[in-house]
Formats: sequence, C-alpha cells, structure tokens
Amino acid sequence: MRPFTYARPESAVAAVQAFTAAGAGARYIAGGTSLYDLMKLDIEKPQHLIDVTAIRGLDGIETNGERLRFEALAPMSAVATDKVVLRDYPVLAEALWKAASQQLRNMATVGGNLLQRTRCLYFRNGAGGTSVGNTYPCNKREPGSGCAAIGGLDRGQAVLGQSPSCTAVSPGDWPVSLVALDAYVEVLGASGTRSIPIAELYRLPGSTPNLEFTLQPGEMITAIVVPKTKAGRHSTYHKIRDRESYAFALASAAVALEMDGDTVTRARIALGGVATKPWRATAAEALLAGKPLTPATALAAGRAAFADAKAGKQNGFKIELGARTVADALTIAAARNRS
Amino acid sequence: MANMDHLLGVPLTRRTALGGTAAFTASTLISEGDPAVAAPAAKPVGVRLAIRTTVNGKAVPVEIDVRTSLLDLLREQLHLTGAKKGCDHGQCGACTVHVDGRRVASCLTLAAKVDGRAVTTIEGLADGETLHPMQQAFIDHDALQCGYCTPGQIMAAVACVREGNATSKDRIREYMSGNICRCGAYVGIVAAIEQVAGREKS
Amino acid sequence: MTAPFPNRPRADAREKVMGAARYGADHQVAGLLYAMQVPATIAKGRIASLSVDAAMQVPGVIRVLTATDFLPPPPATPGAPPPPATLTAYIAYRGQPVALVVAETLEAAIEGAEAIHPTYTTAPAFTSLIEQPGVVREAVKPVTAGDATRAMARAVTRHKADYVSPPQHHNPIEMLSTTAVWENGQLTIYESTQSSSNTKGAVMRNMRLTPEQVTVKSPQIGGGFGQRGGAQRQTALVARAAMLLGRPVKLVLPRGQIFHNATFRPMNRHRIEIGADASGKMIAVRYDADQQQSREGQFPPDYHESVPMLYGIENYHGTAANLRIDTQAPGYMRSPTPHPSCFAFESAVDELALKLGVDPVAFRLRHRATTDPIHGQKLSSCYLSECLTEGARRFGWERRSLQPGSMTLPDGTQVGWGVASGAYPGSAHPNIVTLRVNADGTTRFAAAGHEMGQGIRSTIEQVLVRELAIDPLKLEIAIGDTSVAPQHTTAGSWGTASVVPAAAEAAAKLNAAMAELLAGRQVAGNLHRQLATVRRPSLQVEVEHVAVDQGPKDLATLRKGGMALVGPDYSTFTTYSYIAHFVEVHVEPGTRRVRVPRVVSIADCGRVISPRTAESQVRGGVIWGIGAALREATEVDPRYGGWLNNDLADYVVPVNADIGSIDVGFIDRPDPLINALGAKGLGEVAMTGCAGAIANAIHHATGKRLREMPFRIEDLL
Repeated sequence: MRPFTYARPESAVAAVQAFTAAGAGARYIAGGTSLYDLMKLDIEKPQHLIDVTAIRGLDGIETNGERLRFEALAPMSAVATDKVVLRDYPVLAEALWKAASQQLRNMATVGGNLLQRTRCLYFRNGAGGTSVGNTYPCNKREPGSGCAAIGGLDRGQAVLGQSPSCTAVSPGDWPVSLVALDAYVEVLGASGTRSIPIAELYRLPGSTPNLEFTLQPGEMITAIVVPKTKAGRHSTYHKIRDRESYAFALASAAVALEMDGDTVTRARIALGGVATKPWRATAAEALLAGKPLTPATALAAGRAAFADAKAGKQNGFKIELGARTVADALTIAAARNRS
Repeated sequence: MANMDHLLGVPLTRRTALGGTAAFTASTLISEGDPAVAAPAAKPVGVRLAIRTTVNGKAVPVEIDVRTSLLDLLREQLHLTGAKKGCDHGQCGACTVHVDGRRVASCLTLAAKVDGRAVTTIEGLADGETLHPMQQAFIDHDALQCGYCTPGQIMAAVACVREGNATSKDRIREYMSGNICRCGAYVGIVAAIEQVAGREKS
Repeated sequence: MTAPFPNRPRADAREKVMGAARYGADHQVAGLLYAMQVPATIAKGRIASLSVDAAMQVPGVIRVLTATDFLPPPPATPGAPPPPATLTAYIAYRGQPVALVVAETLEAAIEGAEAIHPTYTTAPAFTSLIEQPGVVREAVKPVTAGDATRAMARAVTRHKADYVSPPQHHNPIEMLSTTAVWENGQLTIYESTQSSSNTKGAVMRNMRLTPEQVTVKSPQIGGGFGQRGGAQRQTALVARAAMLLGRPVKLVLPRGQIFHNATFRPMNRHRIEIGADASGKMIAVRYDADQQQSREGQFPPDYHESVPMLYGIENYHGTAANLRIDTQAPGYMRSPTPHPSCFAFESAVDELALKLGVDPVAFRLRHRATTDPIHGQKLSSCYLSECLTEGARRFGWERRSLQPGSMTLPDGTQVGWGVASGAYPGSAHPNIVTLRVNADGTTRFAAAGHEMGQGIRSTIEQVLVRELAIDPLKLEIAIGDTSVAPQHTTAGSWGTASVVPAAAEAAAKLNAAMAELLAGRQVAGNLHRQLATVRRPSLQVEVEHVAVDQGPKDLATLRKGGMALVGPDYSTFTTYSYIAHFVEVHVEPGTRRVRVPRVVSIADCGRVISPRTAESQVRGGVIWGIGAALREATEVDPRYGGWLNNDLADYVVPVNADIGSIDVGFIDRPDPLINALGAKGLGEVAMTGCAGAIANAIHHATGKRLREMPFRIEDLL
C-alpha cells in the first residue's frame, strides 16, 4: 500500500470540493470495509482519501411520509434495526442483516455498501500484492488484460449479464433489495445534485468491466430513497450461501408482493449472487401478475427469472438453485401476506 | 431534492483544505501547538498523522502512519496485543474491539478514523482482577481452546448481549458468526452468552 | 492412580479470556523491525532478475534480503529431513518467498515488498493437478493381513466404490509468524510452533549455529492442527535478517501467503472393495489409495493406519501411492490419513450394510475388534462397540427407519441419521521433566509439550493437583520452550499420553523426597507450608520418563532434539483410540441446504485426564468433520498453479450458525498397557469418522450417496 493523503471534511459539499481539488487518485472512504480491504490487496491505490464519515448530519433514517430515506452514512446495522424497516420492509432489514457480520455492518454505511466491488476470486487474488502473490489477468482490474475466470474455476461466477470480458458477480445484498423496491439514490457532485434510479447506478460489464457504476468522478451518494409500497410488508430477502452465515450469496432473491387473497397482483423480484449487477427479474414478475401463488407458479417464476441465463463449466447449478431460491422467497413473502 | 439543502451552503472548514502532501495532513488533523507538528519524527515513514484517541478509558495522543489499521496501532504501537490478527481482511473477527461502544473489525478500521473516538479492547474489559461476567462465563463453559480468537469472541459477545441480539440460541449463533473459532468452541460460546444474557435479564 | 478425574476449568483459561496469553507475534521486543515476504508469482521456474532498488527507495525500508544473503543448504543429516529451504533462485511453487523486505514499520515493509517485481524464467510446463501430464506415481509398501484376494473370492456380498477427499488447509486463526532476536551471539526465536525442537534444529542447521546459541519459545499456540508440526520456512529468513541487522525482526505472514507456504492436506483418492460372507460378516478388504504429493515431499500416504483396527477383518490388502506434482509440500492436517480413510471406509461399510439390509449400527456391532490383524497381536484396549452402543442409546437410534428418504418433517425437509466409527493410532514419546515445589507457595513443572488449545496444560495440572498438596493457582507449567526442557513435536495425539505419566512419576518422586526430608515428622499444611516449616526454600525432582519398549537411547534422542516416537504397534500389543459419531442432517426441500442440528459422539481414549477440555476437543473434532464434509476444499486453477481461494472468505470453514448441539461422552476406561494412567490420545480421533457419519446421514435423508467431499449444494439439487 502506497501512502496517501487523508482528509476528513465536515460537510458533503466540502468533501466534493476536496475531491475535486485533489484530482486524479482521489477516493471517498466511508466505513472502509471494502476500499481499505482492496487497498491491502493492492487493487485500489488511492493517492488521496477523503473520509466522509466526519460529515455531520448525513446518517439520518427518515421513515415518515411517502418514502423511506436513508442518508448515506447511516450504518448498515442501524437501518437493519430500524423499527419501521423491520416491520414494514423485511426485505430491506433481511438484506442488511444477512450481509457480512455485525462488526462489519457497524462500520459499513448504507451508501458505501452500494459501491462494493466484486468478490470474483481472480479479481481479488490476482493483483500480485503481498497478501496473496498471485497474478491473474482481469479486465476489471487492468482493462484489456483478459479474464482469467472465463475458462477457469467459475463456480462463483455470474450466469446473467456476463460478457466476453467479464463474468464477475455483483456481490451485494442491500442493492438487490433496493432494486426490487425501485429505490433511487441522491447524489452530490461538483455540478450539484441529481438522483439516479438504483438500477441505473450499475453498469453491465460489456467491454468495459472496469466501469462499474454510473457515478461521475467526484460524485458522492448522499441518500437512498425508497418509495413506500404496501408490498414491503409482504417481502423477504432469501439468501443461499456455502455456509449459514458470514458468506456471500450463491444465489439470493429479494421479493415483495402485492396480493389480493392468494392472487399476486404485482410482484417485485430481484436477484443477487448470480448476475453481474443487481438483477431485476421482470419476466418472472410478469409471469406471476394476476396468478395465484402456488408452488408451481412460484417455481415457474423462478425458472422464468433464469430463462436467459448462461452457464460456464461449474456454475450451471446456479440456474436451478437461483430458480428455487426465487420460488422459496415467493413462498415466504406470500406467507407473510396471509399473516 | 428538498432534503439536499443541508448539504449546501456549509462553509468549507479548515479540515477540507487540500494540499496533497504530508504537510497538508498534519495541518488538517493536528491542532496548532501540537508538539508532533513542531518536531516531526527524525525518519518520517509514509504520511504521518497525529491523532487523539481514547483506549480503555485513557487518552492516547499518538502519531501514526496514515495507512495503519486500528489493529496494528493497538498491537504494534500501543502494545495491546489482546486483539489478534487472523486474516487482516475482516474475514475472521479475531481483531474485534469496540469503537464508541460498538463492535468493529479493527483490521479494516483505518486508525485515523478513531481520532476523537473511544476504543475498548479485551484489556479494558475486566475491572482490575475482577473478570467481566462474559470472561467468567467463557471460563465456566470452556468456550475456548487455543484462545487466539477468544478476545475477539468475548468483545463480540459483550456487544451481542448489549445490542439485544442474545435472545435465543439461534440468534446468538447468527450474531456471533462473524467470529470464526477454528478449534470449534461454538457450543460453549453460545452457552456462555446465554448465561450472561439470562443473568442480565433476571 | 487410575480413578476418574474431576471436571475442573481449563488451566490457562483465565489468561486467555483476559487477552493476556502471549502467542507468537505478541512478544514485546525493543527496537523491533518489521519484515514482509515477497511471494513468487509463477508456479515453476527461476528468478531471472530481482531488483531491490524500488523497495530501497521506500522510506523506512532498510534492507532487502535475497537468495545471495543465505548460506547454501546444510549438509544432509542421516535420518533427519533437511531444514526448509531459505531463499533460492529456483521456484518450486507459486507463492514461494523470493525476497524479504525489512523496514522500520510494518507499513513500509509491505510497501517495499510490493515494490519488488522480479523477472522469471518460467519452466516450459508444470503440473498442478494429479489428473495432468507430468505426474510421477510412486507406490509405497502395501499393508496386508491374511489373503484378501482369496477371501474376496469367497465373499457372498461385495461392495466396491471410489471416494475422494480434496486438498484442504488447516487455517488455525493465528497466522504464521516469527520474531527473531540476535543478541550477544544468542538467537531467540518467538514463534508459534508445535515443535520448538524442530524449529531450533532447522535454524541451527540453516544458520550454522550451535545448540547452545539457539532458543525457541512457543508457550501458547493459536491453533496447530498439524500446520506447525514441521519447521517453518520463514523462520530462517527472519533469523538471518535479525543477525544481519543486529536488531529484532518480526514477520507475520499474510493469510494468502500462508495458504501457499504452509503444508496442507493433499487431495487423496480411495478405491475400496469390501466382501461379506454368508453370515453377513466382513471378511475381506481390498483398498487402493493415492494422494497428491510435491516433488520432494515426505508426507507418507498412511491410509491403512486406522481402517484395519476397526472391525478385526482378517484379510486386508491395502496399497498406497504418492502422485508427485508441482506444489508446496503437503503435510499432516488433523487426523491426517485416518480422517479421509475412515470417511471412505465407513461410507463403504454403510453401503454394504444397506446392501445386506442390516441396520448400520447392528452391522458394525457384529465385528468386535480384539486384535491388530496387520501385526498379528492384541489390541491393548478397544471399546468401539461400547462407543456405538452408548451413542445409539443417547441418540435414540432405535427410532430410526432403515429406508433412505423415509424420514421427513412437515415442511418437506428430509431427515437423515448416520453413524460412523473412527480409530487413531496411540503413540508415545519420552519426556524429561522437572518438578520444583517452593516454600513461597509456587510450583513449577517443566516438560516437553506444546499447548495449542488441546488442553495439555490442563491435563498436567489435573495430575499434579491430584497427586500433590500444592496451590494450583501458583502452578507454572513451562512447556513449548527449548530452554526449559528438551522438546518434541507435539502432534499425532501423543502429547498428553507422553507427559501425564511423567507428571505422575515426578509427583510420586517428589512426595517420596518430601517424606524423606520430613523423616517421620508430622508437619501440618500443604507442601509449600511443610517446606517453609522445615526451612527448605524448595524441593526439586527430575524424571526421565520413557514409553513402553523404550530406553536410554530414546532419552538420548530426545536430549538431542530428535523424535523418539513409539507405537501404535508396540512389541506385544497395539494401541488405538476409538470413537463413534451419530449425526442428524436436515436437507432442505427446495434449495437443498444441508444442516447438522445434532451430533452425538462417544470416544474411547482410555482414561480421560481432563474431562472439560476433552469434551471441547471432541466438539472441535466434530466441527472439523462438518467442515471437511460440507465446506472445505482448496482449489487450484491448473493454468496458474497455486491456490485460488486463499483466504477465510473463500476457504469456507464452519461458523457459529453452522453448528447445533454436540453431545459428547466418554467410555473413560483406562487402557491397561499403554501407560500407568491408562490414557490414550483424543484430539485426532475426535474428528475421525465424523465425515463418514455425515455422508451416511445424507444418504439416509435423500437416498443419494455422495462419495466426493465436500458435499455442496449442487450435489443435492
């Protein structure tokens, strides 16, 4: 790790100004659970760190009114235990508490978590730093170098949204739940504020997998806004991993249902652990609309979610696992609807 | 975007002036008159920062390399070796300490971030020779073997009870899953936490 | 001497819960420098050039050690493995150290190491999987009893199948580290090792130092599991740096480098055929095993250690081979060969029982072992049948339905109950111990042994506190330190059985010495009080303890820092520890996650010396079994070599939420022959067989037989 300068501005505007003044090599750091980790792996090499956690009044949780609003610096653990979130939006609470460990959730912020980078083994382990010593080509790390995961050990790789340049999975849980609820993020940059629908925050890898987010240089997420929906109460985040806890998803599904009796009037379904970005399963949603939720329709929806999936050598199981994960999530959410 | 108002119009503070050098960081984080500014280290290594933190109730002014993790600060500079390095990447929990009363992974916490904050380590848990109830419960239930992950387990366990997450075996297991015990003392760890949580409830 | 021992707290629990126990990297030394290794980024070849200039430009870096800073390998010592290589131009495996950067701070050492980018001449080809070209197969001597071919021919029912266990890494939570201090011609090494004697010998030879010049201290180890049984490669590197620079140097290896430089459990494969006669008794076993091996590695493929000792099957033919490829050397990892061989064999036994339509516990109980068929002599004790019977009782086995897939919960979860056995060799080692009781209330016991959490200090304390009227709170147990007593490699479950008889002998000798000192006088109080009364500051005894069959030659070997191991086949008997595991698994209907909510494990380790730490040992072994069966595998991309999932996020070990209830019981009957206390080993047998019980439970739940570990979600979808 190379030395860097370090600043702790006390306002968001000051942070943006500091970023602009620092120029190339500047990075915002919040909890640091992702960025500092990648710095230790010699993947991220910032020259200037702008620590945003001293910014005052940017960690609020607002649940009154027509929307939920989580300011960017609210710790993941705080939003996960908010009473309204717990009661009315279990999909959000579960996406948060099934991510990482309580230690990391106390550090990581809901804003920073949106920008977590992939856990692709070839991405993480291949920079040649002292932590590992491996070197692998990776288009995300070094554009144009190639992708070692393609043709390599691909059990953990994506089956949706991959390109000939990259198959790395988008690792988050929280973003998947937000995609299901049509959240948007508020962003502050040098030229002012704007808002971005959460689904548009993420790019497909295409031929430029190094570009992961649609934020402009110097832009900072300041808040996450979730329009209120009665589907929130009938929702869940279902996450399947290689162990019961403290692991990234093999497959996950964020599901929220509006129902009339046993009939689904509207389904919201998003997928994690299987795609190169938080993945909205619109075909599955369409299939369920107007249908009763039964084990058969739930599984059919799950299969529809993976209709376009393409497997590599070892990750084919994710297509069936993912479908069943969606089906189980729908069943859990529907049961909440009845209760 | 009404809610953005509070983001704007906030004047630049002294801390936001950027210079991009070691001198800059010193001027932004060290208050005037701090001897560390007047007399920098003879052999400066990396970018140095002076921070003031509180560790186990004691004020600790210390100069750090900006890259230093809280874990390395505790172990290598403050000689508090109770917190352990097991992965250095937030994957094992052996380095768990409390910052302002909340459990964190000290290996992924930049030491610079504890400027002005209170850190509690395993060394600060007992009251002199009197063990914290969680420490005693770990002995009672043999909730350890090699003992290496134990300081992190105990700091996590104390927080688990304090957070209200020690309400059932399953919940304890989930909220203690960020602390890997390779020896496999999990059954004892859950029993120890249940004992302490039960006592505090009654 | 052989009465059951009471349940007392772990001897060193208090210092551990206070964070006061000092592990390898915790020792405070003034003027410390920090080191970081530079890992090789090729799988095989030579360093073509290595420039240290960029690293030396990093503020704080004071020296970069490369191959030229080291002496050539020492001359071979007959009978002893060579010490680990230091830094060499030849690269045998990815991640091998190519340079050591030393700096004033850890951050500078890391930055310096990252600034070094050697160029390499890569080998035209390398072999990183046993299925690839370039493998060299090397068979070892078969292990046989009776005539397996003829017996198999007359068998009425046969079962034959292949089983596989993947490469795995120990991953104790404590990282590998070395702190070296060179002062006045004396080298002191602080390092977590299960063998301070091995570490000392290796450093002596690599550095050309005398025994008097080297001390190795390893008082507390943050988990061993076999990873720290041999000399570690980084030790000599750090020692050399300290000697060159005249300042203490510390290196803590990053986890990824540990994956590449520590030993590991090699991939191993098992082809097993079992034949049963018309009465449904197993009469013949043919068993071919092989394992991944490095080009120069010495870890033996002893896959026929335990299996022949389980059921007294008279006809056995076992072969084994090394498959040499390009990797770092594999080594001993908890229950090294018995874990995979008992997984394979106990799966096969389950399959055969099913073929015969017999309950798997009842089937095993038909085969009570009393003799060691390989060496043709009696087993000193074997209470496996008692383990099975008691385990079945506690587990409620009689409520099990025989048919696979027949037990389900209302939500469709499939429930499976599985059983399997394990056996582990009972070895022993001599020990030279010193016991000193002081009038000031303190006691000191010094011996060979290392504490890595298994509870060896607790077993010593149990014996001393029972046999001596001393203050247990002021008892110091000095082990794992070459300056307090000659040390051995503490591994293979021989630690306790090699020290508690010596402790008992020392206690008896001390009591006799005290009686002689008092010469018939009646003096009140404990030993400390008695010494104070008769105005003696202290009383000290030394005991040279040897195991069965051993004598002065073995003591001499120990004094020289060598291993003098004996067993499990002693001159007139054979000793093994035994265990029976009963496992309940739940297999989720949709996504097919496997949970293990309940385990009952009953062990025969002879006399249980420390009941509390022994229970913990078995629980830990069971969790290792769960990890091995369901989670753990280290993966190689053959295009690159090395290990891909080389951290604790991607090498998936069990977390708290993976573990349910684990009920542990002991037969607790002393072995009549192995030593005066009747204690056999426990830490290794605790894991042995557990993975087989899980495989068998999964089959019982689902009807699907899984023969290649780990069993993952995709195997049951």
